[in-house]
Amino acid sequence: MIKVRDIVALLEAEVLSGESKLDEEVKSVGASDMISDILALTQPGMMVLTGYTYPQVIRTALVTDLLGLIVVRGKNIAPETIAYARENDFLLLRTRSYLYSSCGKLYATGLRGSDVGK
Amino acid sequence: MSENNKLARYAAIFEDIKAGEIMSSNVVEISADKKIAHAKELMKIKKISGMPVVDENKQLIGIISIEDIIHAFEFNKINDPIHRIMSTQVVTIHKDDSLADVVDKFENYKYGRFPVVDDDKRVCGIISKEDILHGILEKFNLIYIHDQKRTSTLNTEYSAITGEKLKIEEAEFHYQIDSSDIDAAGTGAAMLKQFLTGKSFHSDIVRRVGVATYEAETNVVIHSRGQGDIYFFQHEDRFIVRVVDNGIGIEDLDKAMKEGYSTAPDYIRERGFGAGMGIANMKRFADKLVIISEKKVGTQVEMIFYLPTQTWPLI
Repeated sequence: MIKVRDIVALLEAEVLSGESKLDEEVKSVGASDMISDILALTQPGMMVLTGYTYPQVIRTALVTDLLGLIVVRGKNIAPETIAYARENDFLLLRTRSYLYSSCGKLYATGLRGSDVGK
Repeated sequence: MSENNKLARYAAIFEDIKAGEIMSSNVVEISADKKIAHAKELMKIKKISGMPVVDENKQLIGIISIEDIIHAFEFNKINDPIHRIMSTQVVTIHKDDSLADVVDKFENYKYGRFPVVDDDKRVCGIISKEDILHGILEKFNLIYIHDQKRTSTLNTEYSAITGEKLKIEEAEFHYQIDSSDIDAAGTGAAMLKQFLTGKSFHSDIVRRVGVATYEAETNVVIHSRGQGDIYFFQHEDRFIVRVVDNGIGIEDLDKAMKEGYSTAPDYIRERGFGAGMGIANMKRFADKLVIISEKKVGTQVEMIFYLPTQTWPLI
């Protein structure tokens, strides 16, 4: 079982919001910058890697019951986005690792996407 | 493609719909030996304008309409038995008739409804024009009506899918969409989801409602150039979400339905929208979806989500 905490360590990520979720199990992972893709592909217990940082992304994630978001490439995140995530105790991480590299590191742990092993 | 070709294409889709599947089966019938006054009372109470008349074996032998009753009043025959004045030239539909046969009946006879009978000539239902529309909607799961004559179907108080009454003032949840603020897109869906979460419904259906409503709402913000509203209704076994706007309407639904197709401008795409998945996602997450759109009048999205009927404990 892989916990949020393990991902934080692996990607050397900052926890910007949702500290209470660190011991939850991550069931699958996805990566997308398109809101509709996130809406279509996510499953409960899933984390999504994204380069998308508008506050909208938090709202999208909340609607889909996403476990959390990982913003890649150390991107600047609007204060509104972080504030919105905190208000909802939503798990928001940020890593300096690039999207492709982040995917690779997580895949290597055995985590799969929503298209595998349903 | 010519209109006739289109019709032929659609006719094939509906080929296997039988009259029995689309009829209303709670039909009010009356015995021929009852008084006309009795028929009048029944029609008044049931708010109907005509009734099939049956004999003692429940077989269809005639039909009585409001005109017949007015006629009976005029000639002071209101206490006569029904069989004296009923029309005996009844045009019926057999329950196994195809949808094409049903449509032909409406074309050839100018009646508003037809009784449906079984092999023994017993009345088993009644079909009105609305029943045909609902039958098609059921079959299609989605339809696009882009026709001046159908303007009245936009913003009506009736469900485009089930025909049941949906009074907007009775909606359990309402949100007015602010189309001027792209950053606020999805707020209504998020609030609706929160509202449902608070009522402790199963998380799966709440999530499906959230996602599908989110897509419908962002479509209004991105594409409609009009004002919109989200309404949520709960009816026994189902949720109904209606998202309406008074915007420009959908230009080409066949394209809009295609995954990956989008007319969203670049500044919208930069914000992660415009993946061309909106309608596809609505279809994926709703159990039933109907989109009615007309150019320069607006678009109405109606979605139904069935509540899980029975959950068995996992052993």
